[in-house]
Amino acid sequence: MTKELEHSFVAQLEENQNIVHKICRLYTNDGEAHNDLFQEITIQLWKAYPKFRGDSKFSTWMYRVALNTAITLYRKSKRRVQTQDYEGVSFKITAEAYDDTVEEQLKLMYKAVKNLNDIDKALVFLYLEDKSYREIAETLGISEVNARVKMNRIKDKLRKILNP
Amino acid sequence: MDELEVLKREWQTRDQEFPKLSSREIYPMLLRKSSSLVKWIFYISIAELVLWTSLAFVAPESSKQINEAMGLKTTLLVVSIIGYVITFIFIYLFYKNYRSIKVTDSIKNLMGNILRTRKTVRYFVFYNIGAAILLLTFTNIYYYSKKETLYATFAKYSEDYAAIPPESFTTVFFTAQIIVGVLLVVLLVIFYRLVYGILLRRLKRNYKELKKIEV
Repeated sequence: MTKELEHSFVAQLEENQNIVHKICRLYTNDGEAHNDLFQEITIQLWKAYPKFRGDSKFSTWMYRVALNTAITLYRKSKRRVQTQDYEGVSFKITAEAYDDTVEEQLKLMYKAVKNLNDIDKALVFLYLEDKSYREIAETLGISEVNARVKMNRIKDKLRKILNP
Repeated sequence: MDELEVLKREWQTRDQEFPKLSSREIYPMLLRKSSSLVKWIFYISIAELVLWTSLAFVAPESSKQINEAMGLKTTLLVVSIIGYVITFIFIYLFYKNYRSIKVTDSIKNLMGNILRTRKTVRYFVFYNIGAAILLLTFTNIYYYSKKETLYATFAKYSEDYAAIPPESFTTVFFTAQIIVGVLLVVLLVIFYRLVYGILLRRLKRNYKELKKIEV
């Protein structure tokens, strides 16, 4: 039983690991911290997994646990020197034709999102992942209206950064 | 289309470069120990509950004899029984709050539950400090009203005290009591500022940020 549980969990995590990686990259500043946070999120997901009933999608459930871990539970190691060595995010280009300005803007926006506070970051992240406002509101524990209002304010802020 | 929407689409369709972990690499991760904030809070809270509860047992034998000689035995017995009942209530509340911490909860509820768990322990510590101050104040007032008996009792149990002349005993005794009391409280406050501040700074800031959205 435990083995079975382990297998299905690892398989699903392997398949959806990009979600966790994206959160790690948004909330940490270097590769070592990234791995640390990934490890902690994995433990928290695994601990909560027996209670995962499958009435929501694995990925939906994952967003919540991973964000909770990144924002609340994860303890940054104080000894680590703050480095910015992965400021420059690279996006793999899959389409043959691509626009330089879009690429530049993506990077710019990424940088802007990284500088938001922990909560706003979660909001923008879920928005970029195309989550509904209802889902965003539920994940954060605020009302849908407030999530919308807050998101609109952040959008304005981001637009200003993209078009100085 | 709005450029933010374009970026949103790009965000989803383009792959960002991440290490791709295989299941072989994920398995060992399940066995590692968590080092989450909740774990730290749990350990520190348990340590505090144990520390404060056990302090009651370390009173030296001589102080018991002195209290008996001063006619405080029954009063102190009643006080300690009340103390144990209150301690149990606090431990129950702590356990209940701790159980409510769930990583699958919404971000806001999770934060709220962690803060509530911590608060229970903090109130427990405040209660203990408060009770200690009250107890010390009242016993000292009581002692003061019975200075002569006090000196006789102390001189009987401690040679150091017997060496002090009766005229200055009152001053020496009560000054010492006050200094020790104040020092203890100051140390405790510093200790809590440190532990509490370092551990919960980020959580508190984020919780405030969430609350701000709701206004």
